[in-house]
Amino acid sequence: MSFLAPFFLLGGLAIALPVVFHLVRRTTREQTLFSSLMFLQPSPPRLTRKSRLEHLLLLLLRCLALALLAVGFARPFLKQSVPPDDDRGAARRIVVLVDTSASMRREGLWAAARGQAEAALRQAGPADQVELLAFDRVVTPLFSFDEWRTTPAGDRVAQAVGRLAATSPGWSSTQLGHALVRAAEDLAGPDDAGQPGPREILLISDLQEGSRLEALQAYEWPKGIRLRVDPVKVSKTSNAGLQLVTGSDDADRDAGPVTRVRVVNAAGSKREQFPVGWARPDAPDLVGAAVEVYVPPGQSRIVSVPAPTNAPGLSRIVLRGDDDPFDDSVFVVPTEAARTGILYLGDDDATDTRQPLFFLRRALPATRRQAIQVVARKSSEAVPATDVDAADLFVITDPLADAGADAVRKRILAGKTALFAPKSNASATTLARLLGLPSLVMGETKPEKYAMLAEIDFRSPLFAPFADPRFSDFTKIHFWRHRQLDAAAVPGARILAKFDSGAPAVLEVPVGKGRVMVLTSGWQPEDSQLALSSKFVPLLYSLIELGGDGAAPATQATVGDRVPLAAMSGATTLRMPDGTSVTLPSGATDFATAAGPGIYSVASAAGSAPRRFAVNLDPAETRTAPLSEDDLSRLGVPVTHAAQPDAARSTEKKLVLQSLEAESRQKIWRSMLIAALAVLAAESALAGWTARRTMPTEGTPA
Amino acid sequence: MTAPASTPSLPSASLISAQALMGIRNLELRARAVVEGFWSGLHRSPYHGFSVEFTEYRQYTPGDDPRHLDWRVFARSDRYYIKKFEDETNLRCHLVADQSRSMDFGSIGHTKARYAATLAATLAYFLHLQGDAVGLLTFDERLRDYLPARHRSSHLRQIMLALEKPAGGAATDLAAPLRRITELVRKRGLVALVSDFLAPLEGLERSLTDLAACRHEVVVFQVLDPAELGLVFDQASIFRDAETGRTLYVDPAAARKGYVQKLEAHCAELRRICDKLGITYHRLATDQPLELALFDFLRQRMHRGTTARAVAATSGNLPA
Repeated sequence: MSFLAPFFLLGGLAIALPVVFHLVRRTTREQTLFSSLMFLQPSPPRLTRKSRLEHLLLLLLRCLALALLAVGFARPFLKQSVPPDDDRGAARRIVVLVDTSASMRREGLWAAARGQAEAALRQAGPADQVELLAFDRVVTPLFSFDEWRTTPAGDRVAQAVGRLAATSPGWSSTQLGHALVRAAEDLAGPDDAGQPGPREILLISDLQEGSRLEALQAYEWPKGIRLRVDPVKVSKTSNAGLQLVTGSDDADRDAGPVTRVRVVNAAGSKREQFPVGWARPDAPDLVGAAVEVYVPPGQSRIVSVPAPTNAPGLSRIVLRGDDDPFDDSVFVVPTEAARTGILYLGDDDATDTRQPLFFLRRALPATRRQAIQVVARKSSEAVPATDVDAADLFVITDPLADAGADAVRKRILAGKTALFAPKSNASATTLARLLGLPSLVMGETKPEKYAMLAEIDFRSPLFAPFADPRFSDFTKIHFWRHRQLDAAAVPGARILAKFDSGAPAVLEVPVGKGRVMVLTSGWQPEDSQLALSSKFVPLLYSLIELGGDGAAPATQATVGDRVPLAAMSGATTLRMPDGTSVTLPSGATDFATAAGPGIYSVASAAGSAPRRFAVNLDPAETRTAPLSEDDLSRLGVPVTHAAQPDAARSTEKKLVLQSLEAESRQKIWRSMLIAALAVLAAESALAGWTARRTMPTEGTPA
Repeated sequence: MTAPASTPSLPSASLISAQALMGIRNLELRARAVVEGFWSGLHRSPYHGFSVEFTEYRQYTPGDDPRHLDWRVFARSDRYYIKKFEDETNLRCHLVADQSRSMDFGSIGHTKARYAATLAATLAYFLHLQGDAVGLLTFDERLRDYLPARHRSSHLRQIMLALEKPAGGAATDLAAPLRRITELVRKRGLVALVSDFLAPLEGLERSLTDLAACRHEVVVFQVLDPAELGLVFDQASIFRDAETGRTLYVDPAAARKGYVQKLEAHCAELRRICDKLGITYHRLATDQPLELALFDFLRQRMHRGTTARAVAATSGNLPA
């Protein structure tokens, strides 16, 4: 039998007390009434002269009760044979996951993480299999299971450590969920050696709050894979960061060049006051007046930072007074409005309120993101080639001259979009020419009362914005008159919408790389109510986006994003923030911005103005407060703490745990206490009986 | 002057044992049992024909106060007799009984207080039968009841009632009741003091001196329990003082010798005081038959009455 709290056994010494009490004459506590004490002298208590214990059975019971109490409090348990630890000896499969996200750039973190990873690698036995993965936004295998297996046992650790030394934290966000899933899948994969040993992921990370775990939500964690977390701790918990506040197109439009940034202060920060201001990309000093921001720990504030008037063209906002500078800068490139040219080919007057052009001009105002220029040309006149080249969207309402139609068709073939909304049947030839058909017949229908759009293909990009049931009601738009076009006569035509009579209302005809959208009824009041409905403007914007060039080119990106280059005609040279230039291969559609935050510029070989991107840190990286391990457990990941470096201590701890478990299972103390209570009850009964028996003689003079 | 404390010269078979007597619940019955038993025993005793006080009628002689003429005798016999002496010669006895808590101790089935009350009641009953006036004064640390001396049956019953009151009080003050008696009783008479005298004796001597100076005849009965006399307890325990509540751990075996010595010294001092003042001293253990006490008392009285008459005859104060 063993004891959890053997110190309580010292309580067994209390057994001496009843023995002494039994040796002392029992009557000491009894009082005898006497007439007067004037002749009496006090006598000291003394042991029985006979040195003989009285009431032996009572004494035994009392001692037994005390002994039982002492033993019960010492919490005894029977040691059971501990099953041998299968973890020991068996070959393990371990994936070492090392965090290389931007937050690991904080002072001392990377060195600590490397140290821990190296220690873990060196602890691996010769039979173990180890994979070393680095992760930030993506998972980078540094030393795979295959390499481990094929490398001689003596060189494995050295090689893996060498790979690790060649790695350093990047600027990307922390996709912890993805990394864990990848590691778990590597472990769950078929084991070549068929080893039954334990499988484990060792996560070495700062476990910042901004780590993304969403990937784990939909992932069922494989059984038998444990996650051991070995967090690296920072000495300073203070960290504040800057984030650019985006998505405010219309805000402060008239307030001049003001940029809004969010200042985030981590939960454990010691500081609360930070100056924020503009700075040159290479110099740390602030230019112009700084904005003092007061942010309590764990909170954030959004402040407007006005650009200094004396130094235009700055693109960097800096936060000062923070311990960890990795997230203290944001780069800003002013949004340039995308220029979209619309060439309107029709014979109407722009001021005529019954003509399509009037509505077209008013439906497309200029925004900060988009500058739409509607150029109207008479269809009967010759269209200048520059206008045709500059146009992204053609709107044709009247018959065109053959030359004009050919020029437009050429642009459509190159990928542009044309909206063909004929006012009359006479435009059928122009449509045929645009589509490259020999001829086309178009009729005109006037419904009895009105026609409505009935069958609409909401899967088409044109109508996709209206797919939601809240917006899909087109029945309020009445059509008084529409052209009749046989869709079967147009090869490749797709009917996007039909009138309630079954006649096609909107057709999409792909022509080369581009397309022609045919609207069989116009939006002018003579034809329909379309121009007056709330659907008109969104429809037009859908059309512009169909051209592929509608949206303004993004000027903000997060580190690691791939920035599309589709809009950059002939872009070849990419200039990095550090000044180096990279020549992109021809045909590249995008480029990665993993090199870090800063201003990237893409210059085309044609010599046009270079396009600039501001690349910033992921805002989540700023949230450096430690993530609770419970969050991982909640997602079904069995988390264990990193093992004690001292193996003896861990064994001891394990033994203690086993003892605790055995004791709590056996609960011998309970029986001991019950036995003690029973003995005490017996003692009380016996004492009472003895007292009753001796009472008549007690106190009687001899 | 001194009298033996107890001289059990009567055959003990004729006596009622103290335990049996105390079994009688009614105090008056107990007193009657003693006195009547005593009377019946007295017929066999060599001492008979004596009384507490000698009374007589004297023929009137000129010069006597005519207020004292007994007109009833004159009506019967046509002679003048002086009745004066009837009143004078009748004994006025005051019983002074201790009712302090220390008297509440008893180890043989009855307490000292019960024994003392029976003793006082016996005396009262006996004296009442003789036609003497009996008064009572009970006390603990102060006076409790005072009944002046009268010769009436109802008065005797009141005395019995007062004697039956339970013991109380936190101390025994022996001097105060005696001073009070001295103040209250101007005429000389008999004062019987019943107590255990387990209290300091400092003031007692002065009070007794005062009482004796008033020419009272004083009899002292010291009532003690047999356990008190020899401290006969077999087990050590905490002894609690019946009056003060003070506790003391005492091992009787160890303390007995010193206790007995001190008690005897105390009793010797009391006896010395009594002898010095000509006071009769009786020490009674509560297991002694009461008849013995009464017998001793009367024998002592007879002896004393004889001497008193002799003294009176020589001095010419009293008619022989």
